[in-house]
Amino acid sequence: MTATVSSASATAHWRDRFHRWLSEVFDEPASVRGAAVLRIVLGPCVIWHLRPFLADALDGITYHDRFQQPWWAWYPNAPEGLYVALLWIGVAAAVLMTVGWWSRIATGAAFAVVAYNLFLSQTHFHHNRAFLVILLAGVALCDNGRAMSLDALRRPPPDDRALVWPIWLLRFEAAAVYFASGFSKLIDPDWVGGRVLHDRSVRYQNEVRDAIGDTLAGPVLEVVTARAFHWVLSPAAVATELFIAFGLWFRRTRLVAVWVAVAFHVGIEVTSHVQVFSVIGIGALALWAVPSTRDRTLVTPSRWVGWLDWMARFDITVAPGASWCMVDRDGTVLEGREARQFVRTRLPATFLFSRFWRYR
Amino acid sequence: MATTADAVAESTAPQAGPNRPLWRRRGARWFAAAVVVAQLALVANGYRDPHNYFAFQPFNESSTYAVELVRVLDDGQRVPVPNGRWEGYDWNELIDWGPLRSPWHQRHAFSGIDAVVDFLDHALDWMADNTPGDTETRYWEATVTYYRNARGPHVTVIRSHDREVGDP
Repeated sequence: MTATVSSASATAHWRDRFHRWLSEVFDEPASVRGAAVLRIVLGPCVIWHLRPFLADALDGITYHDRFQQPWWAWYPNAPEGLYVALLWIGVAAAVLMTVGWWSRIATGAAFAVVAYNLFLSQTHFHHNRAFLVILLAGVALCDNGRAMSLDALRRPPPDDRALVWPIWLLRFEAAAVYFASGFSKLIDPDWVGGRVLHDRSVRYQNEVRDAIGDTLAGPVLEVVTARAFHWVLSPAAVATELFIAFGLWFRRTRLVAVWVAVAFHVGIEVTSHVQVFSVIGIGALALWAVPSTRDRTLVTPSRWVGWLDWMARFDITVAPGASWCMVDRDGTVLEGREARQFVRTRLPATFLFSRFWRYR
Repeated sequence: MATTADAVAESTAPQAGPNRPLWRRRGARWFAAAVVVAQLALVANGYRDPHNYFAFQPFNESSTYAVELVRVLDDGQRVPVPNGRWEGYDWNELIDWGPLRSPWHQRHAFSGIDAVVDFLDHALDWMADNTPGDTETRYWEATVTYYRNARGPHVTVIRSHDREVGDP
């Protein structure tokens, strides 16, 4: 009887928590600054992504002139002139996204153009483009112009809060990308056993020689083409992706996961050019910032914090000659060097080089 | 009495909680649930689909392949297509897509060998439909020799659909 009551109470407790979480996600407004940062990052990425299609169009070549594999027979094919016009509309929308003028409409337009182009032919598909389409859709669903935009300058909103369920959806999508990639490699013996990466390293060693020269390439290649090296590297790569996928969800591991994710994306970009994936992957990390702003107070003699506090983590008072003093969300007071170090862990530009593990 | 400032603040405030119509609140939840289910389904589908579209399995293989392309004429004669050129046509100009460029050389299989073979299959059909000046070829045949993650060789043969032979 006691066990039954206890079990029912636990169920009710979890049900209450779930309903509170649902309400927090879907009904309560919170800061959309993370989506605004991502919007600014996505703008140039859209242009970067459309660039080869535009370059071909300037040479008079469109998808009509080469092998294409339609996704669906019913999907409308734009005539050549309209297709090229759509590409330019995508570029214009990307510029407007970045500066935040008609932010939401511009993001929606950029999404429409990139998605339309992707679904014209299966040959247009790349994983990074799929991720770009998903991110654009999510940011367009969010009222992303409430912060860091010309829209907010022209008609200042009372605050930067809006509904954040699209941000939660994008968090799921971002984590799904890392998980799907990591898990598929985990269950593939060739991948996790190092065979895939080893073979690629051996096959592309000439590119390493071309990139860094014979003198440096010799010792580097001796390591990276060794079979044993990939017995370690491949499981480590898989573990990295899975750690990012799960680590981002928990407050205690989030900062480490963000740091690992940045290093991971930089590493991928250096070794294998993956179009816009590295940049949008790093940009999407802004979505994981707690969606509340100016909820830590900071007294500082330095103006640079204000310039670098893109995520609005601090309510800053600049007092020339004062010593650093920071009051955290839970009332913890840090002063002097401790306060300075903490602040560095919360600024996107200095985070990578700070001792973030001390201030989780 | 409401002021203009109040009206502006109200118009720009987020419509949240009880301010939003029930259908919008419920609609957002159903939409989000549908997206989550669809994404999970696509991830699962990636283990079946050779292209693993939206399943996010990049760098999944280190496979290589090479293609021996022949034209099969109406009388059954098999004519090799050296360097992808025949009857004034050029494979690389027609297909013009990186992963299938110069497939008669050993190439890396972009997105895995199954995806490449599937694209090659469609590319042969596309060629059959887009080379009206070639009045001899009944169909194209590609013998694909591949190494899946350095294991092999394996061989598979694919061919385009038949086409009408005669005057253009």
